[in-house]
Amino acid sequence: MIAEFLRRFRKKSPWVLHYNAGSCNGCDIEILACLAPKYDLERLGIRNTGNPKQSDIFLVTGPVTQRSRERLVELYTQIPEPKVVVACGSCTCTGGVFRGMYGSEDGIDRYIPVDVYIGGCAPHPEQIIDGLVQALEILEKKSKNVEQPKKLMGEISERDGGIDKTNMAGKL
Amino acid sequence: MSWILTLMAPILGGLLYGIERKLKARMQSRQGPPLLQPFYDLFKLSDKRPMMIHSFHAAMGIVHFAAAWVALAVLFFGGDLLVAIFFHLLSAALLIVAGYSARSAYSRIGSTRELIAIAALEPVLILSAIGFYLHSGSFEVSAILNAPPSLLPSILGFAALLIALPGLLKKSPFDAAEGHQEIVGGAEIEFSGRFYEAVYTAKWLDMIFVFTLVFLFGGNNLLLGITLAVSAFLTVVFADNATARVRYTDMVRILYSVAFVLAAANLIVGVVL
Repeated sequence: MIAEFLRRFRKKSPWVLHYNAGSCNGCDIEILACLAPKYDLERLGIRNTGNPKQSDIFLVTGPVTQRSRERLVELYTQIPEPKVVVACGSCTCTGGVFRGMYGSEDGIDRYIPVDVYIGGCAPHPEQIIDGLVQALEILEKKSKNVEQPKKLMGEISERDGGIDKTNMAGKL
Repeated sequence: MSWILTLMAPILGGLLYGIERKLKARMQSRQGPPLLQPFYDLFKLSDKRPMMIHSFHAAMGIVHFAAAWVALAVLFFGGDLLVAIFFHLLSAALLIVAGYSARSAYSRIGSTRELIAIAALEPVLILSAIGFYLHSGSFEVSAILNAPPSLLPSILGFAALLIALPGLLKKSPFDAAEGHQEIVGGAEIEFSGRFYEAVYTAKWLDMIFVFTLVFLFGGNNLLLGITLAVSAFLTVVFADNATARVRYTDMVRILYSVAFVLAAANLIVGVVL
C-alpha cells in the first residue's frame, strides 16, 4: 500500500538528466527553451539536475558519436530505477542526417532501451513537453528491476548495419 | 511550543523551500512548481531503487541531517547560541567527511570548497553571536529574546550576517561549493534515492536555522523579528536570481574583507558604547 502511495509521486517530481551525445546543439537549445519562462517545465516539477544518481528521466540528444557512447552507457547504468529514456531529435532516434557516417552510431537505441522517441530537427518545445509527459506515464508503470544497456547484454538485432526498428517498436 | 516547533521543523522547512522555489520562479516570470513540490520530491526519492556508495557515506548523510536538526532544537529550546552554531558547523563538517569518503572528483572538489567556505563563514557567525552577548549579556537564546531589539545597536553585525546569508544557504553569488552547472552539487553528488533525502531535508533545516538567527535581531519585539526574517528571505531570493556565482577565492576575499570586517567593527562599537 505504501508502494502504491509512493508510486503516485513519480509523476509529480521527475528530475531530468540531459546528455548531449554529439548533438549539433539545436535540440539542446530547444530543451533550454522548455525550461525558460514561456514553456516553464518546472511547473510540472521537472528539474534539470545534471546528476545521474538523482535523475529519473534520461533525455538524450545527438546521434551518439563513437566518443560519447561509453559515457552514454555509463550514465544510463548510474541512474537508479525506475528510469525512462527519451530520445530527443531525429539524430537520436535514427541517426538523422548523420546516419551511416563513419563516426556515428545511428541513434541511441543501439546501446540503451528507449521509451519515448521525439522526432524533429530540432523538435519544437511543445513536442519535447509532449514527449516528456508521455515518458511520465511510462515512468509510473515501470518496476524497480534493474535495467541493462543492450550492447552489454548482446540483445541487439542488426539489419544491414542498422537496427531493426520494426521489431523494436513492437516490443516497446 | 519548543517541542512542536522542533518536531515540525522539517515540514516548516519544506514549506519554506516550496515558497522559495515558487517565489524564485515568479521573479523570473515563470509559473513555478507547486507549493508542496519539495514533499513530492521527497516521496519520489524514497521510491527509487537504493544505490549506496558505501555505508559510511550514507551514514554521514544521515548524521549530517541529525546534527542540523539538533542545532535547530538548541535554538528553539532557548539554549546556548554558541552550542547551536557548533552543531551547525558539525553538520557541515559531516557532509564534508562524506564528500571526501567517496572516490569521486566532483565530490572532493565540492568538499574542499565547502571547507574553504566554512573557514570564511563561521567566524562571521561566531562574531555575530558575540554581538548578541554584548547586547543582552548572555549567549542564551531565551535571554536574547527577552532583551530589547539589538537591530539598531548592532546594525553592522546584521549587515555582516546579511552578506554571509547566501553563503550559509549555498545560494548565488556564494554557491561555489555547490556549483550546480559546474560541479553538479559538490559534496552531495554521490547521494541517491533515499540516502539523498537526508541531505535534501538538511538543506531545509539549514534555511530555518539561518532565518531564526536573523529573527533573533528582533529581540523581544516579535513583529520586528518576523519582519527582519521575511525581508532577509526576500533579499536572499532576489540576490540568488540577480547575481552570478563568484569564484571561491573571491568568495573568501569578499566575506573576509566585508562581512568579517563589519562583524568585527560591530563588536568594537558594542564595547565602546
